[in-house]
Amino acid sequence: MKWVRDGVVLLVALVLQSTVLHRIEIAGARPDLLVAYVVYIAWMRGPVVGTIVGFGVGLIQDLDASVPLGLNALAKSIVGFLVAKAGFRVHRANAGVRFAFFFVAMLVHDLIYYAVATDGDLATFGKQMVLTAVPSALYTGVVVVILLGIAEAFSRRPLLADEV
Amino acid sequence: MLRYLFVRRTDWTVLVIACTLSLSMMLLEARLQARVAWFLQHTLLAPFEVTVGWVDQSVGVFWENHQLRSRLTQLQIESDALQGERMENVRLRRLLHLEERHPYNLVAASVVARSLDRLGGSLTIDKGTADGVEPGRAVLTPDGLVGRAERSTPHETRVLTLLNRDCAVAARIERTRVDGVLEWEFGNQPVLNLRYISSQEDVKVGDRVVTSGLGGIFPVGIRIGTVAKVALDPNGLMKEILVDPAVDFRSVEEILVYTPSDLRGTAPADLFLEEPKPAAAADSAAADSASARPATPAKAVAATAQPPATADKVIR
Repeated sequence: MKWVRDGVVLLVALVLQSTVLHRIEIAGARPDLLVAYVVYIAWMRGPVVGTIVGFGVGLIQDLDASVPLGLNALAKSIVGFLVAKAGFRVHRANAGVRFAFFFVAMLVHDLIYYAVATDGDLATFGKQMVLTAVPSALYTGVVVVILLGIAEAFSRRPLLADEV
Repeated sequence: MLRYLFVRRTDWTVLVIACTLSLSMMLLEARLQARVAWFLQHTLLAPFEVTVGWVDQSVGVFWENHQLRSRLTQLQIESDALQGERMENVRLRRLLHLEERHPYNLVAASVVARSLDRLGGSLTIDKGTADGVEPGRAVLTPDGLVGRAERSTPHETRVLTLLNRDCAVAARIERTRVDGVLEWEFGNQPVLNLRYISSQEDVKVGDRVVTSGLGGIFPVGIRIGTVAKVALDPNGLMKEILVDPAVDFRSVEEILVYTPSDLRGTAPADLFLEEPKPAAAADSAAADSASARPATPAKAVAATAQPPATADKVIR
């Protein structure tokens, strides 16, 4: 049952990401629900599932990207793995912890993504990190914490529970 | 050994496999990457794309309906004016014995999905081969050039925008008629690079950049953007020219696609070379002047159009 729910959440995230989120973009920064989804899955299901889901979701993004095929898959695989490893036995129900995890995971993702995409151009890399990655990470953290709060208000149990 | 890896170190093994696969794909030749992506997209993503199209149309239908109602009245007035101009144009062409040129139609379409990737680079529109939209067609908005159709199904088309590495355009500085090739490269997007222009050529910041028509796809004279920065490349032989695109790719929602037609009409490129005029002004202009042009770019939806004397092609 939980796999069906996760699948539905992924479908919703994909649809929202490609159709709605550009409408709430602020100065070039927009939430990245796909990274957030990978973080959520990795946090709840562990490093193996987190890495596989990260790879799959990243590959879906890569199919429609102008960056090299595999870049999103690589970034999200690593993020999925790291989040699952680092997020073991932390207080997941706490909004501050959630925000910090999503924020840092987004930064790690963008660090890998822009490091490869900018092809070693440090100036462009720095600019993208400061002007795009950090605002997007903040925006994603805020949006995801709010969305989780809303979803949990209608759910019988926490979506991000403390137990593994 | 393998048993140990998969049983005792499953997480690390999976990570290494995922990273190896990702890096292998990244190291593939560009064409092979495109073929792999094409295959996966048509097996894995087909149901998703259908869902995206359905949801986006449902979400957008309310405010789009509101906007369309208000535009309908205005377009009707403009359409009447355009009809007069078109007839006038046909008469004048016959009189002047202008050379035969291939006619084009403009098909209006809505954007139903955008690239999932952070950098964008592609759009999906709700018109396909059933509407005459085929791969390679030029795609634009009243503001200027958007890109080209890459692949089409009967009712959907994927469009590569100018922010895609695979969408290079033969471009020209409008003021000095200097030709170059416009390409996007990762960097301070959405700025585009105009390449292959000698350091001796006269190019200034603020110059307008239009399609040159050298090739086979993009009609001549469609606005692309304005020159934002001019510098010399490190060896001093060529100019490094950055172009600020006229189209805001993030917010584009309705686009036009060039398709062949038996009809004849005003030259489409002209629609993008002048700022829009009020409808009333267009009415009087149509009556007074044989060289009058359409009142607003929105007329392009209804207009039939002509292609350039020389056509564009995909550079890569």
